[in-house]
Amino acid sequence: MSRRLRISAILAFAMALLLAACGGDEPSGSGGQQAQTGPRTLTIWLMEGSAPPQVVEAVNADFKTAHPNDTVKVQLQQWSNVTTKLDAAFAGSSPPDVMELGNTLVSKYGAAGALQDLSASKDQFENSATWLQSLTESCTVDGKLVCAPYLAGSRAVIYRKSMFEKAGISQTPTSMEELQTAAEKLMAANAGDKRFSAFYFPGKYWYAALPFIWDFGGDIAKQEGDQWRGALDSPESQQGLTTLKALVDCCSKADKSGDEAKQDQAFAQGHIAMIVANGWEKGVILDPKTGNPKLENDLAAFPLPSRNAGQTAPVFLGGSDLGIATKSKNQDLALDWVKLLANTKFQTQMATVGGVIPNSTTLLSLHQDDPYLSVFDSTAKNSRFTPTSPNWANVEAANILPDMLVSIFTGRASVADATKQASEQITTTLNTGS
Amino acid sequence: MPRLTRRRVTRLLLNAAALLLFVVTIFPIYWMVATGFKRGVDILSFEPKWLPFPATLDNFRTAIGKPFFTMDVVNSMIVVAVTVLVSLGLAFLAALAAARFQFRGRKALVVMLIVVQMVPLEALIIPIYLMLDRAGQTDRLAGIIVTYMTFVLPFSIWTLRGFIINIPMELEEAAMVDGCTRAGAFRRILFPLVAPGLVATAVFSFILVWNDYLIAYVLLQSPERQTLGIWLASFTTNHGTDWGGVMAGSTLYAIPVVVFFLLVQRRVVSGLTAGAVKG
Amino acid sequence: MRAVETRRRRLPSSPRRAPEAARQGARARRLRPLVPYGLLAPSLLVLAAVLGYPLYRLVVLSFQQYGLRELFAGTEGRFIGLRNYRAILGDTFFWTVVARTVVFAVVCVGLTMVLGTLVALLLRRLGKRMRLLVTAGLVAAWATPVLTAIAVWQWMFDFEFGVVNWLLTRLGVGDFVNHNWFDRPLEGFTVVVLVVVWGALPFVAVTLHAGLTQVPAELEEAARVDGGGAWQVFWNVTFPMLKPIFLLLTILSTIWDFKVFTQIWVMLNQRPGRDYYLLGIWSYSESFGVSNYGKGATIAVVMVALLMVITSFYVRQMLRAVEA
Repeated sequence: MSRRLRISAILAFAMALLLAACGGDEPSGSGGQQAQTGPRTLTIWLMEGSAPPQVVEAVNADFKTAHPNDTVKVQLQQWSNVTTKLDAAFAGSSPPDVMELGNTLVSKYGAAGALQDLSASKDQFENSATWLQSLTESCTVDGKLVCAPYLAGSRAVIYRKSMFEKAGISQTPTSMEELQTAAEKLMAANAGDKRFSAFYFPGKYWYAALPFIWDFGGDIAKQEGDQWRGALDSPESQQGLTTLKALVDCCSKADKSGDEAKQDQAFAQGHIAMIVANGWEKGVILDPKTGNPKLENDLAAFPLPSRNAGQTAPVFLGGSDLGIATKSKNQDLALDWVKLLANTKFQTQMATVGGVIPNSTTLLSLHQDDPYLSVFDSTAKNSRFTPTSPNWANVEAANILPDMLVSIFTGRASVADATKQASEQITTTLNTGS
Repeated sequence: MPRLTRRRVTRLLLNAAALLLFVVTIFPIYWMVATGFKRGVDILSFEPKWLPFPATLDNFRTAIGKPFFTMDVVNSMIVVAVTVLVSLGLAFLAALAAARFQFRGRKALVVMLIVVQMVPLEALIIPIYLMLDRAGQTDRLAGIIVTYMTFVLPFSIWTLRGFIINIPMELEEAAMVDGCTRAGAFRRILFPLVAPGLVATAVFSFILVWNDYLIAYVLLQSPERQTLGIWLASFTTNHGTDWGGVMAGSTLYAIPVVVFFLLVQRRVVSGLTAGAVKG
Repeated sequence: MRAVETRRRRLPSSPRRAPEAARQGARARRLRPLVPYGLLAPSLLVLAAVLGYPLYRLVVLSFQQYGLRELFAGTEGRFIGLRNYRAILGDTFFWTVVARTVVFAVVCVGLTMVLGTLVALLLRRLGKRMRLLVTAGLVAAWATPVLTAIAVWQWMFDFEFGVVNWLLTRLGVGDFVNHNWFDRPLEGFTVVVLVVVWGALPFVAVTLHAGLTQVPAELEEAARVDGGGAWQVFWNVTFPMLKPIFLLLTILSTIWDFKVFTQIWVMLNQRPGRDYYLLGIWSYSESFGVSNYGKGATIAVVMVALLMVITSFYVRQMLRAVEA
């Protein structure tokens, strides 16, 4: 009998848990009411680490003033495997109303019809007249505006002032040749340290390889009519990569097959003089737990120089955009929220508090008194973007560029062979009819 | 005398092998726990620090301090408990049928149970998501519980069937001759003998659900409805990996499984062999 | 459609049977044909509901051209018949991946089973205290969740701060300072195999050991007295008795190791190079990486078919046992 009681108890417990799992859940997403008058819930997906919490709260507060009856749910997403989650969400019946998309992903989802066409509402955005060029480009699919620029990040060289002093380098390099010389001097000055890198460059770091390709006049791919052709094998692109390879061979002990995810932690270890990095990476370097806060006053930045003395190399403008789902049942609310986050007030906060580059050229002067951040803003003015093809995301997913770089740096393939193969792969991938 | 020496040498060699084996199995776990207690500067050092002294609780504090950690624990507990218990019940009934009864489709059932285990989970995520979406069960614990159950049931039924087959029917029939009903015989005779098998199946289900990341990641959205698998993945961001946090988090994450294991380990082993030797 | 209980012996009618039970027996006999279906129903319902449709969808997808646009619009994909299959079977990359998956599975299963057997035999010969120690280690490794194990092993083999690189350099095996184990696929797979086997070995070892305890010692003694060496005793006496569990474990391991996905995916930071593709990873990458869901489904279907062929021998044996 006691066994029967035990079994019944277990079953009852299981039922209770099952009820706990089902009951008491609020309906997810905004699939709830259609009525204009009922209280509605707006679901927003932001990427983890992009917006400072205070800014988000402030935006929500302003939104609440305008829409007192409606609730905003902001959910932070992680970058790893995010495309899987986005695919599933957009396929379902109630995707999030607003989501932050990496700017290289927008084309793919826009072309597949996941994002609402905002062309008609463009004028309602406060800054739309002065939006950053490449962010706007990333938001344009088939001539339509499918998202609003949100934030940008560009790269420059972060370096250790003390190491430069020790090696006798008085001025930051203003040309690629000077960069090479400076790196060699640093290696010589630190010859006793087997782990020392003057110019730390992880093999898969394609974002940082692009400036070299672009500066020499090369490109990833060129559009001919409505077909794309990979251009990494052009003589100009190859020249750029060869220059980079010389720098890596002499002066980088970084993992030739690794990526840049851990470079800030490595930098903080003290065996690196220069890295190519985003502005916000300084915070990671100085992080008390994983980095070295004592480096605070030893860090500074300079733009990646061009081969032409006095100019800077074009950099890749990373960033995020805010899109509204076509299937969203709260288009009007979503638009209001996005307009808030993209307006001058909050973009200013994003820039000052978050340290990111805001979406409008008029706001680029916000950092002009900050010798560090102004470097990154200046490079944003000379920035370029990846091919605006809906299939670009597939090129990234197939790791064509990182794999090419790895085979070049590890010496497994010559620059000519590696670029030829990569170009062919890019041509095929970009031209796949969908 | 010579034979004694040989035996001693053999014993020495065996013990040495045993020690080596122990070190190899336990070292990664030691390394994980130790790293959880190390300070950041000791973790990221080129010379490994073998002992975590000076120790710090910072990593554990970060791990526990992550937003919604308590909710993650509660959700994981609920999901695992319900999945394991309900699927155990259903699988036991189904195994009874497959083991004790002859019926049309029995062969097909057994084949189906094996084949279904060969399908990669990842291939089914989107169709499952779409189905749950139609039923309004995405972003609900019930949704992923039901999903986990479908991945746990085939193996459970198959395994339990193996156990039940090896328990001779004569025992139950003897009980029935003595006045027991069929159900009573099941309850009094079969159930206790199958208990180790139930425990073994429960452990496997526990592990399968506890190990999952992808399904929970895709099917759940609200931060208050995440599980611990997702929490563990959150230590790696595009700003780098918080290795101290990952190790501390992993240690915490492994504790419930280890505890559960230690409690049932003897039962599991006896259960596995009772059914297994006869195939 | 008569459901008959197996191995039912006709009992002589017993006067000791209480009338209550007899009445129940009569009712039960009428319902008996339905009993197995009733017992099966809940499980099959759950399986059919949640697994049935997705499986059907998967097979249908493999015959379609299906991308993001179709996914988001909820429309049907374009039916293209066997084009996906033909494209894959004609692709040399497919055969490379198949070969790689098979070799990987064979290595993992082989190592797991061989080492597991050795450990089981070792356990039998150890004294009580040592056996407890080793078992504790095995249980700890067994209970470690996969994500945890991956994190730890990844950290131990870390490029800059990994303890393995440091140890190998110190031991003079070579210069492993800043050695990236995932640079060359052969080395990378070595690490992955280590993780998989480390996690799978305990289960096999403990189960085989328990099976060994059921082998009567007298048989082995007799064989030894007859002049058999250690290997002969094992192969001719011990192993045949272990064969059922051994076979069961091998088949389970084969299915699991063939489907390995998480270890490679996570250890290579969600971005494995094509040299690391196994069938499961390729299927996922085609579906979610380049949004070619049709091709991804085809790869998954081929994977299942392959597994079915590989394990068909055992399945047939199982079916024979079912009929017995």
